[in-house]
Amino acid sequence: MQHIRDGIMVVNTETIAGKVITQNLGVVGGSTVRAKHIGKDIGALFKNIGGGELRAYTELLEESRNEAIARMVADAQARGANAIVNVRFATSAVTAGASELFAYGTAVLVE
Amino acid sequence: MRSIDAKVGTITASVMMAVLMFSGFALAQAEEVKSEDSPAIALLCLGPILLFSLPFVVFGIVWTIVGPIMFLYGVLFSERNMRKRMDSVVLRESASIEHFGKDPLSTLKGTNIVGGISDSGLVYASFVYSPSHWQLLIAWINQLFGGRVDVMHRVISVGRAEAKQRLREQARAAGWQDVLNVRIDTAEMTPPSNPKGTKAVEIFAYGTGIKFG
Repeated sequence: MQHIRDGIMVVNTETIAGKVITQNLGVVGGSTVRAKHIGKDIGALFKNIGGGELRAYTELLEESRNEAIARMVADAQARGANAIVNVRFATSAVTAGASELFAYGTAVLVE
Repeated sequence: MRSIDAKVGTITASVMMAVLMFSGFALAQAEEVKSEDSPAIALLCLGPILLFSLPFVVFGIVWTIVGPIMFLYGVLFSERNMRKRMDSVVLRESASIEHFGKDPLSTLKGTNIVGGISDSGLVYASFVYSPSHWQLLIAWINQLFGGRVDVMHRVISVGRAEAKQRLREQARAAGWQDVLNVRIDTAEMTPPSNPKGTKAVEIFAYGTGIKFG
């Protein structure tokens, strides 16, 4: 996992230790809606009866989260930021097979 | 938004079905004049409809066979699998605590750290866990009497323990020495629009990994 994505530091604390925030560039966010193909959905449906981890959905959410973060980082880059602080995540299940992932934070310039 | 999509889908499907059936009947009518008994033509007309319904039939058969088997599997093994997972989490947890020298996860913001921090970045891990339908049944019976619904409590705590452990492992893989400001989110995978869908919870743990300066 990359912690510095394309020169942007992403943290979920309010400040970056050892650095000073010089400018606030506003809230940036990235979201994505993804779904697994129907075969994996049916597999999960059967696995669900027996209980346990639904690996297809763990993977799905991992992929979606990476994509949402990548979009958030792109948004921050467009604003000329070099860090995103106080990142939060929100999840909502849009329909049975798909879920929406939303990552947001504050784009800042740090020194 | 979703209801509009659903309506569009339904309309499209019914229009397609109607066109298929109409063309089939029209073809059958036209062919009837020429040749009285031709099963090949009838098959040609009904073919698309049969082909369309085949996946549903297959799914229905698989569902009636595999569904009860999975339910039985849940009755016999879901509790045991849960206990096994908890045991494995405890084992892995002690391994990571040994690696870090302490439990790395904390909800602190890092203002208490004296020596300074040289580097930081986001770490996150997620885990989707579902109770078996047997456990859901027990929970439902529990709910009738009220009080503690112990089954669900156990399922959720196993999920949380696993998600936290995965976060520790992610932090270890990325080379962080400590994880600050840890948040644990729990999201239901069952959308309100489809209450009969998959019954699972997603547990998502995230925090800021740091290296001491």
